[in-house]
Amino acid sequence: MLANLLFIGFTLFAVGGAIGLILFKHPLNGALSFIITLLSLAGFYAMLNAKTVMLMQIIVYAGAIMILMVFVIMYLNVTNKDLLTEKKTPAIIGTTALLSPLFYFSIKAISSSDIQNKALPENFGEIKEVGTQLFGSWMLPFELISILLLVAVVGVIVLAQMRRDNVSC
Amino acid sequence: MFPVEYYIGVGFLLFFIGVIGVIARRNIFTIFMSIELMLNAVNLMFVAFAHAHANMDGHAIAMIVMAIAAAEAAFGLAIVIIMFKSRESLDIDLFKSIRG
Repeated sequence: MLANLLFIGFTLFAVGGAIGLILFKHPLNGALSFIITLLSLAGFYAMLNAKTVMLMQIIVYAGAIMILMVFVIMYLNVTNKDLLTEKKTPAIIGTTALLSPLFYFSIKAISSSDIQNKALPENFGEIKEVGTQLFGSWMLPFELISILLLVAVVGVIVLAQMRRDNVSC
Repeated sequence: MFPVEYYIGVGFLLFFIGVIGVIARRNIFTIFMSIELMLNAVNLMFVAFAHAHANMDGHAIAMIVMAIAAAEAAFGLAIVIIMFKSRESLDIDLFKSIRG
């Protein structure tokens, strides 16, 4: 009973935050409403016995990535004169009409499938088990991620340097 | 407790909201966050399927997607800052070429 209420609440918050993201004019408002979506997704992960992923979602996503985003929006000092006047409503209605058949068929496909829930093992989703998984069968992707992050760090430093050299660019 | 299909349905809904944001909006930050929303929707589906099949590969993939999203955010925001400095606008239509 409580789980059902939690599911409905998380769904409402997640979808509401996502709709707020695409409707708000100022990106800062959109970023704050997107953080609500990310936190309710963390709630979904907790309900799905994925404790480690929930922690990573809160710390890395809602913490690090979104704070970086909010910092950049504030750093650029986006004021109302920078915001463009866009015709949002017709574009959103048109895109929704375009995508609704696709959404309908996706929902139909998932509702006609019968996924049998297997019984969960004892320590499902604990940090030790996920770590064993990550360093076992996902070893190569995990190591490639470290190279990717290194490339990102070097690339961002190069981009920042470029800005200092020719300010007028 | 709701069956796992409901979680997949929520994932689809969030994914399509993200697609609408990318197509319909022109603000570069909103488009950026809509892409992150799509990544998150797929993450939710991975974790839901991992729960249904009692297999933890989905958790590992979700973590890797988060790391990729972090790298993408760092890179993308650096490019957005440079573009904003040179174009003085957030309009994606002005960002036709990546050279300043």
